[in-house]
Amino acid sequence: MKKTLAFLLKALGKLVLIALILFAATFALYITNGENKLIYYVIRPFLNKHYDAQVRDKRIV
Amino acid sequence: MKFTDKLIDAVDKKLERFDPLWQAEHGVGGQRSRYYDKTGVAKWREWRGVKDTFYDYSAWLKNLAAMAGMVASAPLPILKGFWEYRWMGSYLGTFMFIDRLFEGYRGTELRIAHMNMYGIVQNLTKKIAFILANDKRLGGGPDSDKCIPFDETIPPLFLKGFKGLTPVPMQTLPEFIICDIDQHIEPYYIDVAESFGLAADVCSRCAAEAGVALDDAFPILGKVMLSTNMPCNASEATSMFQRRRIGLPDFPVTMAMQHAEKEAIPYSRQELLNAIAFVEEHYGVKYDWDTFYKYAEIMNEQNAIELEKWEIFKTPYSALSGIAETLYKLYEWQSANGADPYFNKIDRKVIEIMRQAYEDKYQPFGGKTRHRAFLWGPSAVYYTDFPTWTQNCWGITIVLNMDSTMGYNQIDTSDREKALDDLTALEQRATMRHHAVGGWDNVNAVWDWAKKFNCDMVLMNDNIACKGMLGVHAMMEEQARDLGFHFIFIEHDLEDSRTVSRQDMRNCVNNYMSVVLNEKPLDPTIVEFDDSQAY
Repeated sequence: MKKTLAFLLKALGKLVLIALILFAATFALYITNGENKLIYYVIRPFLNKHYDAQVRDKRIV
Repeated sequence: MKFTDKLIDAVDKKLERFDPLWQAEHGVGGQRSRYYDKTGVAKWREWRGVKDTFYDYSAWLKNLAAMAGMVASAPLPILKGFWEYRWMGSYLGTFMFIDRLFEGYRGTELRIAHMNMYGIVQNLTKKIAFILANDKRLGGGPDSDKCIPFDETIPPLFLKGFKGLTPVPMQTLPEFIICDIDQHIEPYYIDVAESFGLAADVCSRCAAEAGVALDDAFPILGKVMLSTNMPCNASEATSMFQRRRIGLPDFPVTMAMQHAEKEAIPYSRQELLNAIAFVEEHYGVKYDWDTFYKYAEIMNEQNAIELEKWEIFKTPYSALSGIAETLYKLYEWQSANGADPYFNKIDRKVIEIMRQAYEDKYQPFGGKTRHRAFLWGPSAVYYTDFPTWTQNCWGITIVLNMDSTMGYNQIDTSDREKALDDLTALEQRATMRHHAVGGWDNVNAVWDWAKKFNCDMVLMNDNIACKGMLGVHAMMEEQARDLGFHFIFIEHDLEDSRTVSRQDMRNCVNNYMSVVLNEKPLDPTIVEFDDSQAY
């Protein structure tokens, strides 16, 4: 019984720790507007370069 | 007072100097202070106080989870979609879009706004995954031939009677929604259309749709397509370009232009029946009226709740207004149109909150509203987050937009003949039709709507490429003077922000508010600023 309780407490502790770390990481990303900065300054310029290099079918149909 | 409330109050007091509303009130900054110049990229997210910031954070997480779910449900098609279609890249701007839509929102209005927005996000992400997973350009999928692609201005409710087939609005993903999220996407497609010789003075929405077709950027699904003449003459032109380029057998659903007249019903009703027969013939299926009635009931409930919302809109105690109202209604009505019961769930929750807020005499936006405006505005009001800006800058609340007045009649679900008439009445009053097409009375009705909703102001978007509406410009100004409304024409080129910039649009309001009304802005940092490089 004691062992099970200790195991459960340990697992709960780990879960709380993981939840705290996840919260800290996502909240930091949220409040610093991190994902939007990454998208605006890195991902979109990369994608736009690719789109500009695409060869599209210019035939008049 | 509970300990936690005391703690939150203490933290709020300590951090209030980071709140843009507090900054604007105390003359030490405002909404624009936290942005990198021109870009629309905020250095940090808006601090709204502990409770509202955490609510906004939880809504952000929920949206993030919906997007992760979309990728997880169809990882390869989504990746292929990003690589193939320029418009898919623009969806990455969604978080920035949501942030700027709800700037300055607090308390009840913030909660309702996020509930409504999540409805759109959850529906749209599923739609994107489904369409790309079955797009024949990307290799197709198990449901590729079980889809009915249709012009998105045809309300899809009547197509829900086809059991086992999925109606897919063609323009919603590559044009209609994305033009609201990214002001730079449609100019590319407009340029494509013009490089093929399309005149540069036509409606930019229709030009952009033609450009998407010519760039081979429409996902291809289904065995046939349904095009339409709705809402106007320019739509007829773009429908023709699209049908030629896409090459699927097409049935043009040509609804009566004079849709407010009784005589229009038998004609438009026959058009719907012909469209149904066309789908039956090409897909080898039979239309099921009971299935249609099921979805009509969903639509009926949405419209019934909408009419109750309107009663609250007429008062100063509506916690739902501005962009949270108009964008949601536009999407719910036009894109979901009875097909997604999740919107009913949201509507039931929202009307409960609105009833309570009304009983509590809750005044949204800190009671800073100075004017109540009826907005006559299309997509240019979304990518500019115009209603949010008018509220934050000048205290003008947008009570209702014309897009929210689409078909609101009930559909009889017990008698097929009556059901058909009701359905036709609903379908004819689609996006941009109710107040823009079908005769002078429909345009003129803007004054009745403004009066009915106790508005002292009318904001009228003036699409400089819309030949029909340009003709009524002077008449509207004369009428506004006669009827005593504050009236502002806001010039714009719909989806081409190069012709009329966001700031040019804002200046139309700035000039009226400062020169004619001699009012001072609530937040001076957003009177004039450069966001030309923002999505």
